[in-house]
Order: sequence, then C-alpha cells, then structure tokens
Amino acid sequence: MNNSKTYLIFIFLSIVLVAMFFVNLAVGSLAIPVSEVFSVLFKGEAGKPSWEYIVLGFRLPKAIVAILTGISLPIAGMLMQSLFRNPMAEPYVLGLSSGASLGVAFVVLGAGFLPLGIQQYATSAYSLVLASVAGSFLVLFAVLLAINKVKSTATLLIIGLMFSSFAGAFVGVLSYFSTAEDLKRFTFWAMGSLSNHSWHDIFILFVATFAGIIICLFLIKSLNTLMLGESYAQTMGVNIRKTRYQIIIATGILTGSITAFVGPIAFIGLAVPHISRIVFKTGNHFVLFFANMIIGAIVLLLSDTLSQIPGSSMVLPINAVTSIIGAPIVISMLLKHKNI
Amino acid sequence: MFQNKIYLLLFIVLSLVAGCKKTIKETGNISGISNEIQYAKGFEMYDFENFKILKITQPWQGATETTVYVLANDVNNIPDSLAHLTKVQIPVKSIVVTSTTHIPSLVTLNETTSLKAFPGLDFISSEEVQRLINEDKIKEISDGIGVNFELTIDVNPEVVIANGGNDSFEKYRQIQQAGIPVIYNGDWVEYTPLGKAEWIKLFGVLYDKEEEATTFFNQVVAEYEKAKQTVSKTTSKPTVFSGAMYEDIWYAPQGDSWTAQIIADAGGEYVWANHSGTGSLSMAFEQVLDDAQEVEYWIGPAQFVSYSEMQHANIYYKEFTAFQTKKVYTYSARKGVTGGLIFYEEATNRPDILLKDYICVLHPEVFPEHELYFLAPLTD
Repeated sequence: MNNSKTYLIFIFLSIVLVAMFFVNLAVGSLAIPVSEVFSVLFKGEAGKPSWEYIVLGFRLPKAIVAILTGISLPIAGMLMQSLFRNPMAEPYVLGLSSGASLGVAFVVLGAGFLPLGIQQYATSAYSLVLASVAGSFLVLFAVLLAINKVKSTATLLIIGLMFSSFAGAFVGVLSYFSTAEDLKRFTFWAMGSLSNHSWHDIFILFVATFAGIIICLFLIKSLNTLMLGESYAQTMGVNIRKTRYQIIIATGILTGSITAFVGPIAFIGLAVPHISRIVFKTGNHFVLFFANMIIGAIVLLLSDTLSQIPGSSMVLPINAVTSIIGAPIVISMLLKHKNI
Repeated sequence: MFQNKIYLLLFIVLSLVAGCKKTIKETGNISGISNEIQYAKGFEMYDFENFKILKITQPWQGATETTVYVLANDVNNIPDSLAHLTKVQIPVKSIVVTSTTHIPSLVTLNETTSLKAFPGLDFISSEEVQRLINEDKIKEISDGIGVNFELTIDVNPEVVIANGGNDSFEKYRQIQQAGIPVIYNGDWVEYTPLGKAEWIKLFGVLYDKEEEATTFFNQVVAEYEKAKQTVSKTTSKPTVFSGAMYEDIWYAPQGDSWTAQIIADAGGEYVWANHSGTGSLSMAFEQVLDDAQEVEYWIGPAQFVSYSEMQHANIYYKEFTAFQTKKVYTYSARKGVTGGLIFYEEATNRPDILLKDYICVLHPEVFPEHELYFLAPLTD
C-alpha cells in the first residue's frame, strides 16, 4: 500500500472517529434531542438539569473511557501478537485478566466467608479496583520472574495459559460456594463497564494509557525486526531479553489499568490488530500502531453506542456487545483476506 | 312446614360435610369448607374436624404445581382418600426453618425451642434464638449455598419449612424422600404487605396454635388499616424512589411490589408506580436520573447505610436531590448481634410497624410519638 493511500485511510478513519464520538454522546438509553445534546456540549445548558448531567457527567466520561480502552487493548494485543508471533495472542494471554479475575473473585465471592460486619467493606468500588490491580500485577511479576528462567517465548505463552486455567479453576470453586447475589456481582464485573468513573479515575487511566503507548512507540523498530524471527532480530542488534521485558511491562500497564477500571474487556485486543492489518495491508508496526489506536477507539465507541439500545431503558454489558458485533466482522474479514 | 324442610335439608348437608366422607381434589376447591386465608395468595388452609388441609399454591415465583398436605393430631386416623398426601403430625415438636423471615413467627408463638437447626445461624437476629444458639440448642446446617442434606437428615426434624426457588427444589425433594415432610413457605413471593404477614398462620397450624396466630395477625391487620386510614387524610403526597445500582443497572421494586404498596399506603407517591409487576425493575442510569433526580425521598438504597459509603460505591448517587438534601433512608442500618438485618427478619411479620416507619418519614406530623424501627436516616 502506498503512502498516499495510507494517509487517505487515516484521514477517513479520523473523521469516522470524531463522528462516532458525537454519535456516542447523542445516543443513550434516554432519548435526549440531538439539539439539546449539542446545546449542553457547546453552551453548557439544557432543557432539563438531568439532561445536562447525563451528557456531561455520564456520557462524556464514558466516551473518554471507551476511547482509552479502545487505544490500550489493541496496542497491548499487537504487542503480544508480535512478541509471540502468534495471531491468536491477545492482551490477556499472559494471564493478566485471570489474575485480575482471581483478585476480584476473592473480594466479591470470598466476602461471603467473612463475618457479616466486615463484608460491606470488601464490596466497595475501590476494593474491586485494588483487588484487580493486585491480581494482575501478581501475575505480571510472576511472568517477569519466569522470563529469566525461560528461553523460549513459546514456553512463556504456555505458562500464561496454564496460569489462566489455574486461576479459572479457583474462580470456579469460589463461584460454586458463593451466594446468587455475589455471583451476579462478579459476573457483572466480568462483563465490563465503561461508566461510574470520576474524572480522577479517568486521569489515572489516561496516565497509564499514555505511559503504555509511549513505551510501545519506542519499541516499534524492535517489533518490526522481531517479526522476522528472534535469531534474525538478535543479529540485527536487538536485545531480545530487554525487548521482552519492555513489551511485557507495556502490556501489563495497558491491560492492568483497563482491567482494573473497566473489567476484562474481551475481543478488542485480539480482533482490532487483525482488522488494522487487513485494512492497511501492512506489517509495519509504525502504521499499525496508529491504526490500532484509531480503529480500537471507533470499535469501542460503536460497541458502547449499540449497548445502550436507544429508546429502551435497558443496557447490554459492553463485553457482550464487543464480541457479538466483533466476531462476525472479523470472521468475514478473515474469510475475504485469507492471509494475515 | 316449609321452613322445617329447609332445616332438615341443611342438617343433612352439614352432616355430610362434617362426616368422614370428604373428598379432596388436588386441583379444585374443598367443598363445604372455606379457605381460612384472606390476604395471602400462596397458600390455603381448610379446617376439618380431625385434620386440616394445607395447600401450598405458590412456593416460588412461577410455580405451577400445588402441593397438598394433611395435618392431624393423629396422622393414622385420617380418611383413606387422603392417605396419598404428605402427612404432618401436629403439634410439631421439632422443626427446621430456612429463612430468617420464619423466625419471628416462632418467637411470637413461643415455639423457639422447637427450632433444631437453621442454615446460616449468623443471619438470625432474634436475641431469644441467639441465646439458644449460644447454648448449642440449634445446629448449623448450611453448606455454604443452602441446606446441607446430610446435616438436615441428621437433625431429623418432624418438618422442614423450605424457602427458595426452583433451583433448590432438588435438594428439598431428597429430604422429602428421606421421610421428612418439607413445606414450602412462599412468604417472599407474596406481593401484599398483609399477604406476607399472614404466613404466620402456617406456623399457627403446625404448632396447633391457630388461635394465637390468628389473633396476632388480626392485630397486625387492624394496626395497619388504622395507620393507613389516618395518613389518608393528609393532603400532600411526597415523591419517593428506591433501589441502587449494580454496575450499570439500577434495580428498584416494580409498581405492584410490596414496597410500592407500602409507599402508597403511607401516603407517598412512588415514582415507578406505573411499572406494573411485582418483581424488580432494571433500568439504565440515564432513565433513573431523568425520572428521579428531583424526587424528594430515596428509601431503600440497597445495602448502604451512610452517604460516604454511597459516594465511594458510585459517583452518580450524589446527583440526586434526595441525596443532596439528605433525605435518604435505609433499612440496612439496624442489625442483630451477628450482623443479620433486622428488616429482613422481622418486616415480613410486622408490616404495620414498617408502614408507620414510612409514614413517619413521609408525614412526620401524623405519628409524632412513633420511633423509626426498620428505617433509619443515612449517616454521614
């Protein structure tokens, strides 16, 4: 693909992104006239005080979290796919989400084993964030330790998968013994949620995302070389061990922060890197880096918009929507473009 | 002459009815004897001379089968036509109940010593029952999810009062097969305050204390109706909303639910009164904020007991006027010594006190002497 065509696609996608952002703000479970939405956004006033808050206090932060999630997970997915040179790799392949799930499961499902008086402290929103962070970083730490012992990247992949099974079984046992209410709460967490984030949370999420993508930006050259094989990369002067460390830390920051605040969002991290490669027909990580960010943000905003079911007061969980819309799209793209 | 014939006919009919040739169809009514239950929809009771018939028609939401029991002082002396029914010897001397809502009936009827086991002893708040627990008179039979089969069989009660939906049916069926009669208590499915409370009559008949149970229930009805009458004279109708969020979804009682009816009876206007149904509503936050932002009272924000706790849990709660003006009331503040909620245990049996609590919040001038029992304002 030549440069001018690449630029054209980027310009087009950027326009789509901006449009999706406004569509996301305009559409919600409550039907607010579009003119009122724009009046709130640009003049800061609306026909009803509740509309003002819904647009600025509810929809806007949610849209920003959607964008940050849409940036982080595909970048992390790209890093993992390139590190393992495996198209099936995704941000959670190292077991980070399993670690987070285990942490949250201990707090939500395990709370039933605590005395009734203490239970309430274990179920506040912050305890979930902390448990999730603790869980994913514990796994990240274990993976970093494993890197020293393990030479082959494939072995690392297997260790990650093993940890997922291990944590999954543990969560299973906890679920089995928990009350219906706790189980529901855990299931809801696992379904992901883009809302209920203060600007302070969003700032933390922004800093984490920013840090993750900056590290990734410095890795682009190594990633391009890695695609040609580890031994080749080594002869090209890439320090494999150091690069692996950096990739895993960047993935850990991006995935860990999103999982903590939003929940284990499925599919985006696996699918968007493929969509980017198919759209731009390139293996150049510099192009893919930006492509993943823009396409990821568009997909997340679109998923969130669709999850609201306009005109109905019901909301679908974001995780269900990303997979329900995403899977058929990716399958059809893969069938059309057989080589990825 | 004609009158005499009528009397004769009446006499014949009555003697037929009172005689031993009574037939019972499981699906139909029991001819001649009327159901003693007035408010509850989930069970029926028929008082015959030597035995009583208990029909549980709604053990859980959406249940389709009716279970019929025959209760008698001498279960060996019941008509043959009833032999196929589950028999319970009354008065019951040993019992296992499975919900804290069953406990107050035992306390009221002075039968706490018959309680032999319970799943989740910590949930029980009654001081009297807690004392028995401390004396090791009541066994723990919870397996972490519900009732443990082996432990229950080991206790070998004369009857198990079950509680729960279709999901727990299999477990109770096993207990029943082991020869212990299981009676489903559907108080939680009832959607009228007095209907819930009337389930005390089930315990009344089990302990052969129907009169005590009926007297107690009638008193509750009288108090409830009196309070409802008194508040109906007030002109204002403060608005009320309820519920809280689970992740992205707000759960609140539907318009025909128990809570909605108490709010209406307490002279309040429930914001979702038009949403028909007796279960719970699930709504997106945007809808809830639009409906309830300026509503005056927020009663029953799930498990929360303080404003700071609510603010930590969800950043959107503070947007409601009721939150800003500190007009949020909870039923989760009053707890027993081991942490169980008093509301969950006692409110089913005492809708009259709950109603007065609501009136006290919405119309403080009506019962100035009443002190809040189940409800409490949130602390900071």
